[in-house]
Amino acid sequence: MATQLRSADVVVVGLGAAGGVAVQPLAAAGLDVVGLEAGTWLDRRDFAPDEIRNNYRDWPMLVKKTEQERPTSRARSDQTANRIGSHPMMNAVGGTTLHYWAQSWRLNPWDFRVVSETTRRYGASRIPAGSTVEDWPFGYDELEPYYDAVEHEIGVSGQAGNVRGEIDPRGNRFEGARKRAYPMPPLRWTAFNERMADAARGLGWYPFPGPAAINSTAYQGRPGCGYHGFCNKGGCPLDAKNSPHLTTIPRALETGNLRVVTRAHVTTIEVDANGRATGVNYVVGNNEYFQPARVVLLASYTYENVRLLLLSKSRAYPAGLSNNRGQVGRHYFSHHQGAGVGALLPYDIGAWYGLPAQGVAVDDFADDNFDHSDVDFIGGGNLWAMSDRRPISAANMGTYGRSRAWGSEWKRFIRENADRTHSFYIQKTTLPYEDNFLDLDPQVTDPLGLPVIRITGEYKGNERAIAAYTQSKAEEWYRAVGATEITRGGLGGQMGASTHAYGGTRMGDDPETNVVDRWGFSHEAPNVGVLGASVMGTSGARNPTLTSQALAWRTAQHLVDAWSDIAD
Amino acid sequence: MADESPGRPRISRRDLLKTAGAAGAAALIPGAAAAEEASVAGTTAAALPPATVAPSGPLMNLTAREAEILSAMVDRLIPSDDMGPGALEAGALRFIDRMLSEAEADSVSAYRSGLAALDHYSRYSRGAPFVELSGRDKDSVLIDVQLGGATGAGAGFQGSSGSFFNMVKSHTWQGTFGDPSYGGNVNFIGWDILGYPGVRMRVSAEDQRLMEAGQLPPARRSAYEYGQFQMSGEED
Amino acid sequence: MCRASRPAGRCLGCALLIVATASALQAQTPTTFIVDSPTMATGEMMPRDYSPDGRNVSPPLTWRGLPAGTRQLAVICQDHGAGNPPPWVHWIIYNIPGSASGLPEGIPFDSSDPMPAGLAGAAQGNNGWGLSMYRGPAPPGESLHHYHFAVFALDTELDLPPGLTRAELFEAIEGHVIGQGDMTPHYRRHPATDDRTP
Repeated sequence: MATQLRSADVVVVGLGAAGGVAVQPLAAAGLDVVGLEAGTWLDRRDFAPDEIRNNYRDWPMLVKKTEQERPTSRARSDQTANRIGSHPMMNAVGGTTLHYWAQSWRLNPWDFRVVSETTRRYGASRIPAGSTVEDWPFGYDELEPYYDAVEHEIGVSGQAGNVRGEIDPRGNRFEGARKRAYPMPPLRWTAFNERMADAARGLGWYPFPGPAAINSTAYQGRPGCGYHGFCNKGGCPLDAKNSPHLTTIPRALETGNLRVVTRAHVTTIEVDANGRATGVNYVVGNNEYFQPARVVLLASYTYENVRLLLLSKSRAYPAGLSNNRGQVGRHYFSHHQGAGVGALLPYDIGAWYGLPAQGVAVDDFADDNFDHSDVDFIGGGNLWAMSDRRPISAANMGTYGRSRAWGSEWKRFIRENADRTHSFYIQKTTLPYEDNFLDLDPQVTDPLGLPVIRITGEYKGNERAIAAYTQSKAEEWYRAVGATEITRGGLGGQMGASTHAYGGTRMGDDPETNVVDRWGFSHEAPNVGVLGASVMGTSGARNPTLTSQALAWRTAQHLVDAWSDIAD
Repeated sequence: MADESPGRPRISRRDLLKTAGAAGAAALIPGAAAAEEASVAGTTAAALPPATVAPSGPLMNLTAREAEILSAMVDRLIPSDDMGPGALEAGALRFIDRMLSEAEADSVSAYRSGLAALDHYSRYSRGAPFVELSGRDKDSVLIDVQLGGATGAGAGFQGSSGSFFNMVKSHTWQGTFGDPSYGGNVNFIGWDILGYPGVRMRVSAEDQRLMEAGQLPPARRSAYEYGQFQMSGEED
Repeated sequence: MCRASRPAGRCLGCALLIVATASALQAQTPTTFIVDSPTMATGEMMPRDYSPDGRNVSPPLTWRGLPAGTRQLAVICQDHGAGNPPPWVHWIIYNIPGSASGLPEGIPFDSSDPMPAGLAGAAQGNNGWGLSMYRGPAPPGESLHHYHFAVFALDTELDLPPGLTRAELFEAIEGHVIGQGDMTPHYRRHPATDDRTP
């Protein structure tokens, strides 16, 4: 029998990147907030620069919920889905921001208006066949103040390219106009980063340093980045990698209006006869609880947001909460961020003390930043040349056919080449399609007996065409710095579970094709809101984290402003 | 780091000398104990090989026989040669042996059955136990194990011989190039092979510049020598 | 002329023959020469030492009756019944001096070991596993596979880099092949009980 708890104004399910940000404006406004997090608190004592533990063994997690409910996946619906090897996300206060790469990008204006902009410039026939893409219900300008708020609250370092319409050539000339500069300058560049930037300029491109949720200088009483080199899937021992657990969550706790419950595994959302949510059920170990609340905000990452809705069946919602129109799980996609390009250079590049957020970006080939009249795709990709290397990973590098992978010959090879490889990370425009969706797996369950998510999806012609195009640009860039070997990854096939997972609870004005409205609240169950990239309808050529945080702040602020409309 | 495993008998030095192959002996004999026994034995001191910089302590999981075969394999993966020490001197064997204490049961059995199969395959195909083959012949055997040719040769590999090879290679790499607190990368032998300047908590712009000029002295410290880090995520 | 059942390498010779007779000027007519081995024969089981059931060393080959003007030779061993698509390449070796009359057993597989006398300059290409060495037959289960050793006589001393694939080698020797010899032994794996342990 579940223990009935004292009712809260708002219950936030999940305190990762998005939920962790939303609690601050809610608590600051005086709302009584309960934050339920399946994971636990971790701190910098858990974050040793230890490659074996960070990258080859279980990361320090006390709660393995994501692993236990990892999805199955298949390319198309005529196939059987197989269980993925391991879940890319983790449970903790702060979620996966504890060890993520912390690249912290705003979307560009085009990403909010893919349909209307493509139609205007090239004609509606250029929208890829089978895509269900829609314009977002608002544009970049609407989100700008929230990007600004999060960048300052969390702490994002970077170089502005467009402040109030004035272009700064040191930054991204293609970005949407910002109200003001970043709160901190960008992370420093290595000599190789400088060389890459020079080569890009030589090619007529516009390189700039990437933005990061990492202190480049001391900020909010926390030190600047130490560049120790273990940032890739590593926690920060200096508290310089900015996560909600260091910033927005403690501030919300200080108001006295936030209660954080850890190890809380939410199973279903309860609704009343009118279809309004009344609270959530959760378990801590073997103990069951019901947390009543006037508003429920789901922030448990894309797969779990969709799963919780689908598992919460009731008379009002026989197909799952907010799913009477069958839109929950639809318009899903994993970000096309693979299909990279790698190279071997004939000189050391000094990458031992780098981090994935340190590097050179070129946005010339992203979005609609170039004329697509003569290509067969829309959108594009961001070329990201980062600085990242750890010893075991370096020792595992491919030998480009120059040596057996072990033995004395290999020893000779690795002594010379350990600091000579590099690879491009290319995040590409990815669109939703009719064929790609999430649902509950018909067979596989988690230890509680609840079905896990099944991913059905593959990258389509548009994504693969972008991949081929951006790989060619990356190769051109490598040749300009003297690479002697260049390899390209495959163009993309089946979608697996991703750290950048979008859709499933898409946001839009039309309730027939979207789960949540322009503020992030369910069309069908107005006191249920959704936070996270599951509301995003397009990906842009950058990772979703900052955008999901800006959206979460905006949804939370709207909840505060429209409280009596939504909560009553 | 405490290596003692209560309840597990120490392997006598005489047994180690009897069974250890040429490459394996130094890695298995506690250096301090060898020196002490040598001085006690008196006249036999001169006949003993000098104690190398080698890991010490008893084996925690592997038998001496298994360690001998594994040592011989590890020694071919990253050999000691004119470029300097290799995986054995770096303590990859000790790393693997310790790792098996925390590994799942099927990893431990993969090692036991794989090492037995490697030796059986060597006898089956080359007519001699693996540790008795020349370096070149050991390489040839390992290539066949790696490529899967040893699979189906009646040697008893569980599944493909290539999976066993990849597992040992992967662990040898971790043991050679990982943080020394796990028992490997002894004296930072692994990081020196790569030219990796070592773990530092703060790398200034000047440090970066020195490294790019090849002038940054290696920081010879484990990650766990900095700050108050916990070794594992286990708390309660 | 070109039987469908002939392996691709053979057809190359046939194609060249057709081209050569078509252009009357400078082309030589490729000839067939004898390829033999002291330990193997076409249509017979290869000794186990040329496979991972044994020492997996490269087998000895001999040849005679090379066409006049042979400056260099290249050898490939391939299984037309394996690979996706076939053939699966077990060995490629080239830059063999034209004066050589064969290959001894056990060509080194480690690049730091020198080539035997008389084969100075010889280089090995990448087999199907991406390794520049001989790796012998390991047909699945009890199946019998055929291993086609083709020797190409070339009219030029090409200075080819090591590590070429079959496609790269064929492209490099295109137009230089003045003769070809073949032998095709077969192999089936030894049973598990056929242990060599003394």
